[in-house]
Amino acid sequence: MRYLLLTSLVLIFAAGCKKDNFEKPKSTLTGRVVYDKNAIGVRSNGVQVELWQHGYELFSKIPVYVGQDGAFSAILFDGDYKLVLRQGNGPWLDDADSLDVKVNGSASVDISVNPYFIISNATFTKSGTLLTATVSIKQINNNLPLESVYLYIGNTNIVDQVNNIKSTAVTPDISGPVTIQVTLPADAAYYARVGVKTAGVAEQVYSEVKKVE
Amino acid sequence: MKDWLDREPRTILSDQQVWNDPKQIVALLANFYDRLPAESGLVDVNDGSDGRLFQWRDMANFDDAMWSGQSNEDGRNNITSYNYNSWYLWNYTFIRDLNLALENIATYGVNLTDDQKKQYSAELRFLRAFNYFELVKRMGGVPLITTQLIYDYSGNVSNLQQPRAKESEVYDFIASEVDAIKNDLGNDGSASRANKYTALALKSRAMLYAGSIAKYNGLMAAPISTPNGEVGIPAAMANNYYQQSLAASQEIINSGAYTLYRNNPDAGENFFEAVTKKASNKEVIFVKDYLLPTRKHVFSYDNIARGIREDNLGSSSITPSLNLVESYEYLDGTSGALKIRTADNSDFIYYDNVQDIFANKDARLYGTIIYPGTTFKGLQLSIQAGVMAWNDTRNAYDIVEGSDLGTTYTDGKLLTGTSGPHRSIQEVSNTGFYLKKFIDPNDKTSTRGVQSDVWWVWFRLGEVYLNATEAAFELGQTGIALNYINTLRERAGFPANSVTVLTNERIRNERRVELAFEDHRLWDLKRWRIADKVWNGSTSSADAMIYALYPYRVIRPGNAHDGKYVFVKMVAPRFRAPRFFQLGNYYTAIDQSVLNNNPKIIKNPFH
Repeated sequence: MRYLLLTSLVLIFAAGCKKDNFEKPKSTLTGRVVYDKNAIGVRSNGVQVELWQHGYELFSKIPVYVGQDGAFSAILFDGDYKLVLRQGNGPWLDDADSLDVKVNGSASVDISVNPYFIISNATFTKSGTLLTATVSIKQINNNLPLESVYLYIGNTNIVDQVNNIKSTAVTPDISGPVTIQVTLPADAAYYARVGVKTAGVAEQVYSEVKKVE
Repeated sequence: MKDWLDREPRTILSDQQVWNDPKQIVALLANFYDRLPAESGLVDVNDGSDGRLFQWRDMANFDDAMWSGQSNEDGRNNITSYNYNSWYLWNYTFIRDLNLALENIATYGVNLTDDQKKQYSAELRFLRAFNYFELVKRMGGVPLITTQLIYDYSGNVSNLQQPRAKESEVYDFIASEVDAIKNDLGNDGSASRANKYTALALKSRAMLYAGSIAKYNGLMAAPISTPNGEVGIPAAMANNYYQQSLAASQEIINSGAYTLYRNNPDAGENFFEAVTKKASNKEVIFVKDYLLPTRKHVFSYDNIARGIREDNLGSSSITPSLNLVESYEYLDGTSGALKIRTADNSDFIYYDNVQDIFANKDARLYGTIIYPGTTFKGLQLSIQAGVMAWNDTRNAYDIVEGSDLGTTYTDGKLLTGTSGPHRSIQEVSNTGFYLKKFIDPNDKTSTRGVQSDVWWVWFRLGEVYLNATEAAFELGQTGIALNYINTLRERAGFPANSVTVLTNERIRNERRVELAFEDHRLWDLKRWRIADKVWNGSTSSADAMIYALYPYRVIRPGNAHDGKYVFVKMVAPRFRAPRFFQLGNYYTAIDQSVLNNNPKIIKNPFH
């Protein structure tokens, strides 16, 4: 009798395992948020895109964070998804149109956005303890005005308005190159980055992170 | 035979029985009052269907305090950014119960007198208006449901799917409900059931919120709004709201039904009693009351100062920040920044007694916060971080701190106090300060066995004075505004007419210090549209970081400074991430399940 009980328990467990254990997802979706074929730099852990999948009882978004270099990736089950920008979340104009994404093994997709500003030609030069950043800022659409331009210093290679050890802000004329200076604090390594804040938009658009030697 | 089968149930009350019996109705009302939400409150209530109604721990989530209690709640010191679903409320279960009660009382209450019917209906409508205010200040415009919604089994639910009302419409609904019911409420003098002045206090606060949202949203670089006004109130409506708020405040103040609490000649103790003491308190207007030995809470157990705790665990959870301490002005009207270092920053300022640095401060500091050198429950608190021992070879001070509380230095005198502060030990202040407001001053109330019955204050006259000040100032009636703010400051120990030039910053600081820990700071910063500037997520910000003040005893034999006290200001050691309030936090995100069930509901901006 006892053996029968044990055997049946083993059987139940074995069967149970099969029933509730699903294969984990293994297809990958990768992509970038781009303007004019160039990825847009954003805040790490700040900007999201949303994946939605129709046809199942549970209907809620799969949030996908965009990395600071403008790239994102997600591990998914194969299937048809809709990819959409989170409204009011990034340094670009809202666009509620979704992209159809078919994931089968792997897929790659670029989302085109219409940013308020873009940054180009960022250079950083250090002399003594003074760091000078020079950037060109171009307004892409005139919906909202420029609030200010920031220079952020961090001591890891993740730098933005939240992750920094020092920052300085200017409200410049952007018709020509913009120069910002900051005195470096006493630390071993520096990474620098320029962010542009649009008035009324929480997220800034950023240049690439550069290590300051 | 037919009658024999037709029996009255013996365990279920019928609608006719309930709605004709004042005792049953009052019992139901008690349930409804109990379900009114607040953001913090003194308890932690997570009702399954109504949602999270009280979360006292949230007091540690902003800039007035941090978490120094059990370390598994340390996430409150490391909120990298507020979630978009923070402060979520969608308790239509409660709204439905109120609507159902209102309809049933009209249908079934045939044996009630007209006066009874009027009063109960008025109370139910007050509760509903109060709850809509709680919804609108979090979510923006919400569906205004004032009747039961009944499914007709037709397979079509579109008549049950109601769209969101405009934000202004919800505020207008609150105002018109208060006007309609205020004379029917009865309950004169009651602080736990609504009376005329409770309703007016709700109107005073709600209209002030609506006015400032209309004004300050319009002043943002990019006002937060939706095309149909579910979020955002047109700036042109601001004046009307301010006028309604001022009129409601003045009706309360001029009625004489309530007076500022002045029963204790000591201004600091008086302010503590104004909020906490129940006997002959004519200041409080509306409270969530508790009563020992059965209706009680553990707020005092969780938040009493460490050195005087009566239980073997708990204490010290909500610890006020130096940021808040420094917003209490000096009695001569100067800024409240504490004098820690000499003007040229070359040396400490030395104090004979540890409490001397707080001398001549706004008495509300004493009434709200336990700081070094004070007593509570008649017991002296020992608050000292360590000693500064002079090192002749280095020509500087060595900082020595105890590895435990209540330790003695090699000179036989105190090293680290029994109440800390300590950089890393849990359940001891990390900021150097302890909470006093809402802590029970009675014996054994900080034990889990006895517990506390201090009430939670929803409305009190002090707030009404500040509402009147702000509304009058916004309407350009500066004389009236000055009169109200100065009356309130006199109660706090300031001389007469201590403010002569009124500014927004003055009024805002006055609200911060008077109403600290009474669930105002978050909503005030939101309606003034400065929360994203004050809590900007920057480590170099003076407001987004939580600062601590550690007192040290000086050991420097042969020197005039020996035995004196110095203070060090620092970012609180257990505090990790600056407060970061994003534009998407001005209106809480509506849950996806709500959006899925009702396609007419639109999302809030930034979500």
